[in-house]
Amino acid sequence: MIRSTLTRLFLFSLPLLLLAGCKAEGKRPVVKIGYMICNNEAETMARFVPLTRYLSDKCGVDFVVVPVDTHDFEKRFKAGEFTFTHSNSLIYVILHENEGVELLASEKRGKFGSRSAGALIARKGSGIEKLADIRGKRLAFGPMLAPTGYLAEYDLMLSAGINPEHDLGTYSIPPGSYKHEKLIYGVLYGKYDVAAAPVLDLETMTREGKIAADDFVILAQSKPIPYCTFGVAKGTDPALVKKVKEALLALKPDDTAEVDGERLKVLKEAWIDGYEELLDSDYDPIREMAKRVNMPPYQKY
Amino acid sequence: MLNDTFDKITWLLLAVVIAALAALLAMNHGAGDGKAAGLGKAVEREMAYRARIELIGKLYGPVEELRKAGKNQEALLKLDELIRKYPGEAHGHILQGEILREMGALDEAVASFEAGVKLNGDYVDAKSPLSRRGTIQGLVDEGLKSVGGRAAANPGNRSLAASLRRVNYLKSRLAGGCE
Repeated sequence: MIRSTLTRLFLFSLPLLLLAGCKAEGKRPVVKIGYMICNNEAETMARFVPLTRYLSDKCGVDFVVVPVDTHDFEKRFKAGEFTFTHSNSLIYVILHENEGVELLASEKRGKFGSRSAGALIARKGSGIEKLADIRGKRLAFGPMLAPTGYLAEYDLMLSAGINPEHDLGTYSIPPGSYKHEKLIYGVLYGKYDVAAAPVLDLETMTREGKIAADDFVILAQSKPIPYCTFGVAKGTDPALVKKVKEALLALKPDDTAEVDGERLKVLKEAWIDGYEELLDSDYDPIREMAKRVNMPPYQKY
Repeated sequence: MLNDTFDKITWLLLAVVIAALAALLAMNHGAGDGKAAGLGKAVEREMAYRARIELIGKLYGPVEELRKAGKNQEALLKLDELIRKYPGEAHGHILQGEILREMGALDEAVASFEAGVKLNGDYVDAKSPLSRRGTIQGLVDEGLKSVGGRAAANPGNRSLAASLRRVNYLKSRLAGGCE
């Protein structure tokens, strides 16, 4: 009698025991990260899905990638479409000032680490040797909300007494994606006389052999300012924020994540050297530039 | 074997020749040989050192020219190529550190000097023609003030703590600490 009761009890509890041993897949909280699209959605996904998977593994949360167009970033964040933000430093400043987004970690890439600079370049031998020579010339800017492809160069010109609205021959922004590369090539092959080039792109293209260090004259260059930035909505669970921050700062070149059955190196896929813990005050030079150039979040009409 | 006088004389002469040879060998194997080898190594070291200085002048000459012309960013791009081509050569890191400091990137300048000094201690040696003691001392002073101040104000900040560790590394090398 006792034996059969025990057997029944065992058979009854066996499925429960088996279920308890299973991984609670899909039961973890789902949190969204909005990633600013640099060139196109496919590239953004390829770069940041491994990083997002790594964060999920480290934090015990199912993070989801939300690719976001730069100009829609604030609107979509405000609509609550994502909690964590990965954007350029100007978008971070806008979100910080307008929406209270808090700084999490800053991306390191290139010679200036977690910072980069904007430069005004001309082709070597074009006769444009100094900033004053760009008056009346054809200039190409990067995307309008690019801190080192638009804001910094606009500010450099204003500081030198050159008003881009009146003193240039023309200025334009290359259409489509890969704007930074397009304008650098545009100067090299004579489509533009001058370009607003992020130093990081000059570095990367030189390293990849697409251009040579001697191809250009750098007419002016800004001070290094913070580059891409992870932020988080105010009021997010502090324990989760702490975990994400620690996971980002701990990232090493050998860290991997599994995506579609393939184990990928997280930093390499994301084109990042690592993450750094900057202070919000390190973004003040961007705020000052934005005020001088009359750009968001300080724009006045 | 030693039956007659001729045999005896022959064996005696043979013994004299063997003894003389042994004495000669012993003399050549003595202190004179060590001196020659030591001298050879010293000459080799000196030659290698001079060749390195010559090579540095030739390789990094264009970078120095760009710096003199105030073209720091162009110099950095050029250096990037050279550092990738000669990853074991410390001079590129030292020059890069100097340029980054001039461009206002203090933390990165410190990291670059650290990499250079780790590769070659000549840069903290006051007697070396490559010495950068003065520059490194200035960088350490600025780093302790700037990075140290920020690190003290933000005790939990790991990036500032890492940067301060690099400044202290350079400080220890200036004080004579070894790698």
